[in-house]
Amino acid sequence: MAAIATAINVLGVLFLSHAAYEHSLLTSASTSLPPTHSLLPASLDPKITLPLDITLETLFSVLLLCAGMVLSSADLKPIQWRVWAGTLEASQEAREVKEVGVGGGNPYQALEERAGFWDVRGVGKATRGWMDGGGDKKGKGRA
Amino acid sequence: MVHLILFRFRVGIGGGGGDAVVGPARRSFEVPASLSINLRTHDQEHHECDSETHQPSQPAKMPALYLTAPISADPRLALSLAAQAPTFTTSQASSWWSSLPYPLTLFLNSESQEKWTSYENLFLACLRTGDFTTAYTCLEALIARFGKTNDHILALQGLYQEATAQNTGQLEEVMKAYDEVLREDPTIFSVRKRRAALLRSVGKAAEAIADLTVLVDASPTDAEAWAELADLCLGQGSLEQAVYCLEEVLLVMPNAWNMHARLGEVVYMSAQKMEGGDQMKALAESMRRFCRSIELCDGYLRGFYGLRVTTGTLLEALQGAKKGQPTTSDPLAGDLAPPSVATVMKLNELATAKLAEIVRRGTAGEKGWDGYSEVELKAAKDLIDRDTQKIER
Repeated sequence: MAAIATAINVLGVLFLSHAAYEHSLLTSASTSLPPTHSLLPASLDPKITLPLDITLETLFSVLLLCAGMVLSSADLKPIQWRVWAGTLEASQEAREVKEVGVGGGNPYQALEERAGFWDVRGVGKATRGWMDGGGDKKGKGRA
Repeated sequence: MVHLILFRFRVGIGGGGGDAVVGPARRSFEVPASLSINLRTHDQEHHECDSETHQPSQPAKMPALYLTAPISADPRLALSLAAQAPTFTTSQASSWWSSLPYPLTLFLNSESQEKWTSYENLFLACLRTGDFTTAYTCLEALIARFGKTNDHILALQGLYQEATAQNTGQLEEVMKAYDEVLREDPTIFSVRKRRAALLRSVGKAAEAIADLTVLVDASPTDAEAWAELADLCLGQGSLEQAVYCLEEVLLVMPNAWNMHARLGEVVYMSAQKMEGGDQMKALAESMRRFCRSIELCDGYLRGFYGLRVTTGTLLEALQGAKKGQPTTSDPLAGDLAPPSVATVMKLNELATAKLAEIVRRGTAGEKGWDGYSEVELKAAKDLIDRDTQKIER
């Protein structure tokens, strides 16, 4: 998906730049005088007619770029509480702490772990007992 | 989600708030000598650490592994953190540029939140695995940065003293130190919490409950303290008080789906001791709590498990009640009428179906379903199998 989106973006940029290039060549390319527009004063008259293919190419490139930008944007995050909470409970990668305050899984897990009341002696004894008893013999499901 | 992040810090770091203020002590009292680290005979080992070669401090990004606190039941995170702690501390230790005058050190320090969170988590991991030397080094770094009289650092010092205490005499000293600190300034909630935790760990549950009651009286919005009080009351067997405390937790944090499930579990436990109409009411309330937890969290295994169990029991009770006893519901008191049999049966089927789906997908390890632990999945599977056996008979 990312590759396709990048390709579309590149194509869009190419076409846009090509259209701009062609537009810049218009005054040098045209030799005959175009018909004068009666509504415009002489100083504002562009003295060229814009060919249809440049217009079409510009519009096409804009469409390509819009499609590419939309396809290459990041996934939308859940805005419903239950969906967000469900991903925290069900998926492992939502539990990783990416920065301080970002990620980290269920924020209410702190109410069940209660770091302010941590029983260091009891937990330490249990951990050392577990380590002495051989530690992790076979891997468990979740860290 | 910003308010949740604030709650996380407030709840996790202990009432007083994680203040990262550097500078002179804000209080005029002296930290009691017994709570300061100097009395312990770790100075010699500390000098050994100093003489090792130090690498220059790296302002590099800390591994995300260091940012999770190692206080859950699973010891493997603590083990891996404690294994990496010595290299971390030596790499962070001060080098030639910390002896430069003040303005220049500002350009050369590697200050970040991750750094201090990492120090604290490594400290906790070392205490857990028994590596007190490295724990002392980490604690010293934290004291050097935040000062000895910082609320949170006082709690960490107390934690260190508790962990390294070898007999009840030393624990008594730690208790006395806490009391001294609280006498000077009774508002240090982190030390209050440590005091209650110490009372609980030596077995004085009733005193711990009294201490926590004072704490929640002073700070009724501290959900962590209410949750600890609920746990203590549950341990003592006073289920009604546990239910009250958990309801207070939910008042402060109404969207905590795991606390709704916890309250459902505790109410179910109390329902098993009741009879008749009261039991029906309690079972219905427990079922509603689990329903609420599922509303708040899609695919919540614990919620569906509880829903299955409570609807099963409620169906039996309702079928028993059909034969005679009228169930009382007092509209003035705001009680809800007990749910109808059809509703309960539908919920039962829903819970069974969802449990089966979660077990199937979780054991297959599909992407987005791998967060359930094996123990949970096995328990859910056993529950489903047990009931299918009953039907087969």
